Amino acid sequence: MNRATGISHVTLIEYLSLERIVKRLSVLTVPADALTWHRFFGALLLSLLVLLFLSGAFMAFYYSPALGSAYDSVDYALFSLPFGGIIKGVHHYGWNLFLIVLGAHLVRAFVVSAYKPPRQIIWVSGVMILLFVPLFIITGDLLPWDQKGFWSTQVRLSIIGSIPFIGDLLVRLFQGGPLTGIVTLTRFYVLHILFLPGLLAFLILIHFHFIKNNGLSYSFSSDNYSTKTVRFFPVIFNRWLILFMGVTLVLGLISWYWPAPLGDPADPTDSSYVPRPEWWVLFLNQLVTIFTGSFSVVGSVIIPGGLAGLLIVLPFIDSSPERHPVRRKRVMLCAAIIAIAILALSIMGYLEHFSTPHV
Amino acid sequence: MRKQKKFGFFICLILIFGILIIFNSQVAIAAAKQSVTATKVKNAPAGYDDPAWQKATAVNVHFEGKEIFTGKKTSVTTKAVYTDQEIYFLFTWDDATKSVTKGAWLYDGQNWSHQKGNEDRISLLFEINRINKFATKGCAVVCHVPEGAANAKDGKFGTKSAAEKGDLWHWKAARSDPAGFADDTWVTVISEKKGGRKGDAGKGGDTKNMTEDKSMPKYMLAPGNKLAKNDILLASHISEIKDYSVFKAGDMLTYRMPKMPEGSRADIKAVTRYANGSWTVMLYRQLDTSHDDDVAFNPRKKYNFAMALFDDSGDEDSYDSEVLSLQFGR
Repeated sequence: MNRATGISHVTLIEYLSLERIVKRLSVLTVPADALTWHRFFGALLLSLLVLLFLSGAFMAFYYSPALGSAYDSVDYALFSLPFGGIIKGVHHYGWNLFLIVLGAHLVRAFVVSAYKPPRQIIWVSGVMILLFVPLFIITGDLLPWDQKGFWSTQVRLSIIGSIPFIGDLLVRLFQGGPLTGIVTLTRFYVLHILFLPGLLAFLILIHFHFIKNNGLSYSFSSDNYSTKTVRFFPVIFNRWLILFMGVTLVLGLISWYWPAPLGDPADPTDSSYVPRPEWWVLFLNQLVTIFTGSFSVVGSVIIPGGLAGLLIVLPFIDSSPERHPVRRKRVMLCAAIIAIAILALSIMGYLEHFSTPHV
Repeated sequence: MRKQKKFGFFICLILIFGILIIFNSQVAIAAAKQSVTATKVKNAPAGYDDPAWQKATAVNVHFEGKEIFTGKKTSVTTKAVYTDQEIYFLFTWDDATKSVTKGAWLYDGQNWSHQKGNEDRISLLFEINRINKFATKGCAVVCHVPEGAANAKDGKFGTKSAAEKGDLWHWKAARSDPAGFADDTWVTVISEKKGGRKGDAGKGGDTKNMTEDKSMPKYMLAPGNKLAKNDILLASHISEIKDYSVFKAGDMLTYRMPKMPEGSRADIKAVTRYANGSWTVMLYRQLDTSHDDDVAFNPRKKYNFAMALFDDSGDEDSYDSEVLSLQFGR
């Protein structure tokens, strides 16, 4: 109440009826080590995700999802628009880093047994997020309508098409016709900017909901930080904000110095173009190369599907109460074998596709 | 111990960023086409012998002959440098004969006749606005040979729609070099009657030196002027011939007289030399001329272009390159 005028001032928070939420946030406490260097990956992932959403939204202002103009609209945004190259670069390097950090987050969660009770659903939702991200990349790659995106999509659709029983149906759903054209571009665009972000946000909400209720993962830290608590707002929020600004700055600088690549415009008649696989699918690509003919389904579906299934059911098949990796020799050995196999296949793929001249 | 862990962690993070950049830059250069990289230089090269050219990477661009040159191959050593304002190209190729005749007049003591012989040329085509499939097919998409035509002589040069525009740099040993320029032209949609080649805004090109009945030259060198490079008569240095008796047998006069270009047509300057059986041609231009009929170069971007070489030959008889990529180094 203003004493001079007698008019009561209503704050924006009151006006929007957000008092209860703000009050809950202001008293919310979380373990003090919720955002420390050894729990860095989750917060970094959230920073990258926010950056990807923001940069994607900015790019959508200038993107035209039509065959004749998609490439030119990306080219314009990249080279003619002030800061357009940086925004595109942040989006490009952001998802690459997102995948790496997501992998690191998963490895850390595995090593510290974060999938064990009572955190099984947190693990499963995390794995679902991991399996979900490639859909963003697959749909996003086509949008610039350049040679790499177009021909990579052709390869991916042919792999999807080799899935028994449902392969053709999936390809028809993605492609929207017999050829990769305007309907495919429209479907990929709608999936990329509308359906997939919505589903991802839902999965993240589930992930956070169970983290809040079931607690943070086990830590090997000896100082027992987790017994202390700090306020979420402003302590944790400010730490996250600093991290967010730091990541934005680093990715912005990288994008300024090494602009995001944009290949030649897609030419569906140029079948001589052989796309190089992305780094994250080198091992999958190598599996497809190894298993050919009637065994192709082994490389394209059975092994990748088996690995994904194994990750999802891990909390339910490893029921031992042991949490320290030294006392979980069997699980750690299995994981090491799989990791070495993935690394070896990736190196083989790299040597095949990157160390020899590309024609 | 805790500090060591933190240090190790951040080292890992830096490594991840490093790998990320290296990997992505490799993907970015994974193109099958030959690439010419323009090297950034502080001082613009003053000529083809300037030390600045030593900093540029030479690319041996391959050309395949067509029509009368079918089955033959040649190559052009190509370099490029750029400053904050300008881009410079340096082309060197072997050519046993210096051809600058272009139908020059020869007087035999009684009559004037055209000498046999054409001229040497090199041309570059860039996209001003995207030309559909130029990035993969190169010049083939702008050379339209009507169905049923026997050869490229029946074809026309142009794009399929008005939105597709190309920037054609055309250095001609007889018709542009003596003026110190390459002819700056552009390519647009082809029409039923005409091809799509147009001169840039302004003046330029060449004019024919002949009388109304086309039997003899009309102009000679005006008093007080000098013939230009290769003894070519520039259109700006002429006076009408009043008395043909001053000529004696064996005298020659230029037939196609280069005009001094003006406006956007004068954007591409040329410094050249023919020596020891090879041409050395340096072409240079503003990165961005602000003219609608020119490609504007942005050093952060890659550009597709294609080249053609003409060895004493007409438009249809050329050596053509595949589509090339021009990128700018830092």
